[in-house]
Amino acid sequence: MTPVSRRRSALQILLLSVGFVVLVAISVASVLLVNKARKDNAWVVHTVEVEGQIASLLVEIRRAESATRAYLLTSAPQHLAEYQSAATGIPPALDHLAKITTDNPTQVANSQRLKIAIDRRLSELARDIDRAKNNDVADSIADLRSTSSTDAVAAIARIGTDMRTEENRLFTMRTATADQTQVLASSVTIAGSCMVLALAGFSIVLLRRSSRARDEAEARLRDSYVNLEATVDERTADLREANEEIQRFAYIVSHDLRSPLVNIMGFTSELEELRGDIFKRIATLNRATSLAPAMPDDATDTAEPELEGSDKQLSDDFNESLGFIKSSIAKMDRLITAILNLTREGRREFKAERIDVQELIDGIVKTVAHQAAESSTTIEIGSLPDLISDRLALEQIFSNLIDNALKYLRDGVPGEISINGRTKLGFAIFDISDNGRGIDPKDHQRIFDLFRRAGTQDKPGQGIGLAHVRALVRRLGGTMSVASELHNGSTFTITLPINWTGRNRDKAS
Amino acid sequence: MSNPVTIIMIEDDEGHARLIERNIRRSGVNNEIVPFTNGTEAVNYLFGKDGTAAERKGHALLILLDLNLPDMTGIDILKRVKENKYLKSTPVVVLTTTDDSQEIKRCYELGCNVYITKPVNYESFANAIRQLGLFFSVIQVPPASP
Repeated sequence: MTPVSRRRSALQILLLSVGFVVLVAISVASVLLVNKARKDNAWVVHTVEVEGQIASLLVEIRRAESATRAYLLTSAPQHLAEYQSAATGIPPALDHLAKITTDNPTQVANSQRLKIAIDRRLSELARDIDRAKNNDVADSIADLRSTSSTDAVAAIARIGTDMRTEENRLFTMRTATADQTQVLASSVTIAGSCMVLALAGFSIVLLRRSSRARDEAEARLRDSYVNLEATVDERTADLREANEEIQRFAYIVSHDLRSPLVNIMGFTSELEELRGDIFKRIATLNRATSLAPAMPDDATDTAEPELEGSDKQLSDDFNESLGFIKSSIAKMDRLITAILNLTREGRREFKAERIDVQELIDGIVKTVAHQAAESSTTIEIGSLPDLISDRLALEQIFSNLIDNALKYLRDGVPGEISINGRTKLGFAIFDISDNGRGIDPKDHQRIFDLFRRAGTQDKPGQGIGLAHVRALVRRLGGTMSVASELHNGSTFTITLPINWTGRNRDKAS
Repeated sequence: MSNPVTIIMIEDDEGHARLIERNIRRSGVNNEIVPFTNGTEAVNYLFGKDGTAAERKGHALLILLDLNLPDMTGIDILKRVKENKYLKSTPVVVLTTTDDSQEIKRCYELGCNVYITKPVNYESFANAIRQLGLFFSVIQVPPASP
């Protein structure tokens, strides 16, 4: 992941969370504002109710007054009844007004003053009614004419007006508050929606940009994949060429080294024969000078004449030198032959065929049966999976490993060699285990190197077998490893593809 | 070897040539040995100036041939000898260090009569050459076709 795309995805997560937070904030604000609006509206309704109560109270007082006057004029009983119904209705209405205006101290004072004024007026009206009942209408009319009654009426009217004014003021204020709340609620909603929309738009832009970046990256990936394939093919071809060149080189070099070796060996042998002649002649001459004709002439040709003193020393030195030269030549010849065989093996075309591994190993074990019997070794063969591979290569691999197991047993311990197989993920795994002398872990790599050996050097060998086996296993597309410790036996594990097509590693195209 | 058979030895390594000659002589073969150390000279001798080998008409030859020559491969010489109408019946003994089975097969296919690998071990080498000398002493070689 590039830093750019990492930053972009972090930004997207941030945007999402910001959007979520905004949504939550809008919801909470809306709920709060709606509640506030409801409360504000309730207050507006309340104001209207108070105004209505004041109006109906004043109407009731007017009714009581007009009923009183009508009664004074007519003394008709229905007017008396009307007065009584009006008069009894006023105090509860007044109480109600007092109750609903408790929230406002001004109105509380006003309603108390109103109550006093109304009580005075009501008592005046009640006195008038009583006088009318006692036929003292004239006094009552005189009362009406007097100013005292109009005082109360004026007071009521004034207080009523005050209260209405107060309520109007409250109404205006509360309506304004309710409007404000509503405006606030709607603007919060609109602002939030806008923000969410903006965030969504921004996200879309980011999304498109990142998807475009992804498309570009995909295209680049495809390109580089194609390039990679081409590069790998190229490199494989180069490697194969280099490998073939090394093989050719090794072949030619080892081949051409042989020629001078034939000469060295040949003329060394010629020298050896000359040496015989020379020393024979020295011996003869020595004898001739010391004890003249002590020996019959015909005897010198057949019997090897005895050398003495310094001459004998000379002859032995000569022999020793020749011996070293000859053994070195023989060793060099073995090495050159080994390289030649290896390169020849490397150049051999492998042929894939179905192989009954069990049968193949049975065959190998039969050829080493004599050796095994000599060292009283038992060879155990488990069940082995079949393969499609090169027969000769497999034979060489297994016979080398079995030979090694037989060769490097512990002295005086009967050998136990077991060969087991299993399959795993398209590969066949073979274990060749022995109870032999084992290999020091520090030598585990070394034993696979050409001309290198490990442990006690008491067995003949060139250090070629395992190098060869590993080269073969690799050519067959497999791997090999060793698990071993000194004096504790070894297990060589070979992993080979079950279905080798002849194309693994070796010849790709 | 019954009379005038000439042994043509084409061998670039003079040491080898000397060893071969010594061992052939030790086996009692006294025929003339004409040595060549490179392919060109040998080809000039065998096929003459005109390249037809008409000069060798009537000569009885036996060719000892090494495959690794500095200027050409012995296989080319073998091929030319066996394709030439005068020389094709001449016995060719390939004596070389190469023991590659493909190479051996190829030589026999081209008409080589004997293929011998030079052993590095001198005992074997001397032995092989002496036996070859014995073989030369009994072999009947036809003269080059007229």
